[in-house]
Amino acid sequence: MTTLILLLLVALGGYTMFSPRLIRGVWALSAFSLLSALLFYLLRAPDVAITEAAVGAGVSTLIYLWALKALDKKDGEP
Amino acid sequence: MRKLLPLGTLGVFALILLPVFLLDSPWPLEPRDYLEARGVEETGAVNLVSSLYLGYRALDTLGETLVLLVALGGTISILKKEGFGLPDLGSTPSARLRRTGLLRSVTGKLGPVVLLFGLYLMAFGHLSPGGGFQGGVVVASGIIFLALGSPAGPEALPLTRPKVLGLLENLSSLILVCTPLFGFFSQQVFFADPLRGAGSSHPWFIILLNSLIGLKVGAGIGYMGILMLSGGRR
Repeated sequence: MTTLILLLLVALGGYTMFSPRLIRGVWALSAFSLLSALLFYLLRAPDVAITEAAVGAGVSTLIYLWALKALDKKDGEP
Repeated sequence: MRKLLPLGTLGVFALILLPVFLLDSPWPLEPRDYLEARGVEETGAVNLVSSLYLGYRALDTLGETLVLLVALGGTISILKKEGFGLPDLGSTPSARLRRTGLLRSVTGKLGPVVLLFGLYLMAFGHLSPGGGFQGGVVVASGIIFLALGSPAGPEALPLTRPKVLGLLENLSSLILVCTPLFGFFSQQVFFADPLRGAGSSHPWFIILLNSLIGLKVGAGIGYMGILMLSGGRR
């Protein structure tokens, strides 16, 4: 189980770096955070899991999305 | 070039981390065993993580909170300078289109529940997984949900008003910076638990610190989120 999650994490991280559009990278990063929260929970670190889920999957995804929106508005690109 | 840069970064990270994996020196076990044996007794917190970061190493946590305060202050001042203010949710046609009825009703109903969960994480961090930072971020999500779900905009609810959020953050930061002095007067030790010195075994001090950190983080990040909702100068 742990190995499977770790492999998925590597795949998601790679996709985040090489994704053709930034917004897909943001979603992959959010999924990465959620999966690593699950991994932390399985490794019996529930405190870290809650932090990762709230900060990584929640707030930082929102901030990235807002930043992308603001950048799009400034550049005039879709 | 654009593809090569991430690959190069990965390579450098692998080179730096490789010795850590190849090294087979034993893990240091003494702190772990000490904490397991004496942690609950010495700090009163069943959750050993919070006994560590608010009991033994509370000074580190104070520094961490100050770093967060400075980061939030910088972000908010940049946002203000860029023309981010209160979001106009529903005054212009495009804003009304973006904020659909579905979004409004879902966030409005979910907001109080998320807020309550955040307060629970904050207040029970000494017993169950959670604590000030985690609870604060969840509280911030609840505040952003409430701001999105309020039909008349974030100015209508007391909790999502920037003035109230700013006051909450400033007050909790001020009290948090003063807390190390409590123990200084009662036990002559910086950041000592003043009530433990008086013979109490209940972790009131950890609960106080958790709540203060949670309020500070929640109000600060919630304020930043509400500012970012506005989208800035058009």
